[in-house]
Amino acid sequence: MGENTSNPSRRTYLKTVGAAGTVGMSSLAGCTLIGGGGESDTITIGATVPRTGQFSSLGEDVERGYRLGETLMNEQLEEDVELVLQDDESSADQVRQSLQQITSNNEVDMLWGSFSSLLVTAGSAFAENQDIPFLGAFFAFEGPHRNEGYEWTYSPFPKSRDVARSTMGLLELIPEGERPSRVGIWEPNSGWGAEQADAWESTLSDAGYEVVLRETFSLGTEDFSSLISQSKSQNVEILLSNPTPPGGITSINQMEANDYTPKVLKYVRGADPTAWWSALGQKGAYACMCPGWVPGMTGNGNSEMKTAFEEEHGLDQGQLIPTAVGGAYNVAQVALQAVQAASSPSPEDLQSALRETEFATVIGNFTFENNGLPTEGELTAPTGQWWDGGQHTVFPDVDGEEAMDFKYPMAPWSER
Amino acid sequence: MPPTELILQILVNGLLLGGIYAVAALGLSLVFGIMDIVNLAHGHMLMIGAYVAILLFAEAGITPLVGMFVAIVLLFLLGMALQKVLLERVVGEGIEQPIIVLFGLALVLQSLGRIVLGSDARSTDIGIPGQGIELGPVLLSFPRTVTFVVAVVLIMGTWAFLQYTTTGQAIRATSQNRDAARYMGIDTDRVYVITLGIGTALAGAAGALLSMLFPITPFVGWSYLLKAFAVVVLGGVGSVAGTLVGGLLLGVSENLGTLYLGGGIRDIISFTIFLVVLIVRPQGLFGTGGGDEE
Repeated sequence: MGENTSNPSRRTYLKTVGAAGTVGMSSLAGCTLIGGGGESDTITIGATVPRTGQFSSLGEDVERGYRLGETLMNEQLEEDVELVLQDDESSADQVRQSLQQITSNNEVDMLWGSFSSLLVTAGSAFAENQDIPFLGAFFAFEGPHRNEGYEWTYSPFPKSRDVARSTMGLLELIPEGERPSRVGIWEPNSGWGAEQADAWESTLSDAGYEVVLRETFSLGTEDFSSLISQSKSQNVEILLSNPTPPGGITSINQMEANDYTPKVLKYVRGADPTAWWSALGQKGAYACMCPGWVPGMTGNGNSEMKTAFEEEHGLDQGQLIPTAVGGAYNVAQVALQAVQAASSPSPEDLQSALRETEFATVIGNFTFENNGLPTEGELTAPTGQWWDGGQHTVFPDVDGEEAMDFKYPMAPWSER
Repeated sequence: MPPTELILQILVNGLLLGGIYAVAALGLSLVFGIMDIVNLAHGHMLMIGAYVAILLFAEAGITPLVGMFVAIVLLFLLGMALQKVLLERVVGEGIEQPIIVLFGLALVLQSLGRIVLGSDARSTDIGIPGQGIELGPVLLSFPRTVTFVVAVVLIMGTWAFLQYTTTGQAIRATSQNRDAARYMGIDTDRVYVITLGIGTALAGAAGALLSMLFPITPFVGWSYLLKAFAVVVLGGVGSVAGTLVGGLLLGVSENLGTLYLGGGIRDIISFTIFLVVLIVRPQGLFGTGGGDEE
C-alpha cells in the first residue's frame, strides 16, 4: 500500500474515540431517548431511489444499503423503523412527486436522499420546504449548502473539496519520478460540474500539476469524440471528470475506438456502479472513482455491514460489496445516531441532534456544520479503483483486506 | 489555435457522425417532401428501430447490422399500417390534424417504451475491434466508419430506388403534383402508404445504426427528431442529396463548434444553424422552395 499521508491530530483522535464510544454504548444499551420507557412509536423514513433511468445502475445498491440500515435501526432502537421507498425514475420532477406522495400518506419523521446532485438537491428542496430533516449522500455539490441556506439538509458525504484532496493524495502514491503532471478536466455543464472542476483545478494547480485542458460537455451527451481528440492532442495524462454512469461507460468505449488511454482516469459517479464492470469488463480496469465508501475501509460498523450484507444477499468468493451500499448504510447510521441523541422525534430535536452530534459511520467520523456540510477536513474521501471486477480502496492507506495498491499507469486497450 | 491534426480528426469525426444524422433525417425529409406531413413521431420510430436491434442483440446475439434489416422490415410495415389506419383519415383535413395525431403517437410510443422496456440506457456492440485505421494523423474508428458506410449505402439505395424504379418514379410524380399524378393513373393513396413505410423504415435503420454508437433510452425520440429537422432544413425538404450534405454539415459544425466554443453548447450550435438557415434560405441548400425531390 502507498504511505498514509494523513496524520490524525489529537483532536481527531479524541473525536474518534468519543464517537466510537457513543456508538458502542448505545449499541450495548439498545435504548434511546426517544420513546424511552417502552413507548413504541414508529419512526417513518421516506426516500426515493432511481430504480430506472440514467442513474438506475446505482439504485438497487442504494436501496440495499438503505434496507440494511433499516434493519440496523430496528435492531438498535426500541421504536419500529419503517422505510417507505419509491422509484424516482432518475427524474428530479419524479423525486418531488414521490416525496409528496410519501409524506401525504405517512407521518414522515425524516427523509433520505436519492442518488446524484441532480436528484438529491431536488429532494432536499422538498425537505427544506416541508421542514423535515433530510439526509443526502451521493452528492458532492457544496454550492446549495452555502447558497440556499439549508436548515434541514445534512450531507454525510465527501464534498467537491474532499474529492479534489483525495485526487491529489491518489497521485502522490505514484513515485515522484514517474508521476504524471498534465491534467485534463471534462466538466459537465452543471453547477456541481463547475464546482468540482474548480476544486480540481485549484487544488492540483497549487500542488504543481499543469491543467492543460478544461472543456465542458452537456450532461447527458453521448458523443465524447471531440473531448477525446482534444485530450489526446493535449497529451492529457490525468483525466478527471464527473459524468453520469451511462456517459462514463460510453466515453470509455469511444476512448478505445479513438485509441486514447490516459495514465490515470478518475470518474466521480461515472465509475461508481457495478454496471461499469458488467458493461466494460477489462476495459473498465484501472478506472478510479470517489464514491464516498469503498471496500477496504474498516471500523465504525464496516464489518457488521459486511456480515449483514452477506447474510442478506450472499457474497461469492472475491466478490465485493458495491460502493453505493456503504454510502447508503452510512446514511442510516447517521439517522440512527441522530435519533439516539435526540430528546424526541420532533423535527427540531432531530435537527439539533444532527447539528450537535459527532457521527461515526462506515465512511469515517465527522460532525456537521450548521449548513449541513460535513465539517471541513474531517472526512477523507476514499478513492477506489476497478480491478478484477471489484472496487478496491487505493487511497487513503487503510488496512481492510479489500484494499489494494494503486495500479498505475493504465494499460493500453490492446493489452487488456 | 488548435493543431492541424486535431482539427482534421474532429472534422473526420464530424463527417462520420453526419452520415448517421443524414440517414436519421432522410425518412423525415421524404415524408415531409412528398406527403406534406411533418412526422413528429419520426424520432420515436427511430427509437423503436434501435430497440429492435438492441433486443435482437441481447436476446439472440444477432449483430445489429443484421438486426437493422429486421428493423427496416418491421418499421416499413408499421409505417404502412400507420398511414392506412391513422393518417389516411386526417390527410387533407388541414395541416393541424396530422400533426396532432403524430404528436399523440409520439407520446404513446415514448410511454410504451418506458413501460415495456424501462428507462435504462441500452446499447449494442458492433462486434468488431474497437480500435480503428490510422490514415496519417487521423484515426478512423471502426464502429463509426462501419455505421457511416452503411448509412451512405442506405442513402444511395434510397436515391436509386426513387430514381430508377417504377414505384420511385410514381412517388416523385406524386410529390410534384398529386392531382396530375392521379390523372396519369398513379394510385396516389398507395404511393402515400409506401412513402410512409419507406420513411419509417429509414428511421428504423438509423435507430439500429445509432444503437451501435450511442446508448438508447425511450426518451431519445425528441432529441433525434430535432436533429433530423435541422438536417432537413439545412439540406432542403425532399432532397436526398441535400439530406446527405445537410447531415454531414451538421455533424461537422457540431464537432468543430465544440472545439472552438466548448461542448456545453453543442445543441445550441446545431439549432443556431437551423434558425439561420430558416431565416436566410428557408428552402435549404438544395431545395427550390417547392419541395422538389431528386
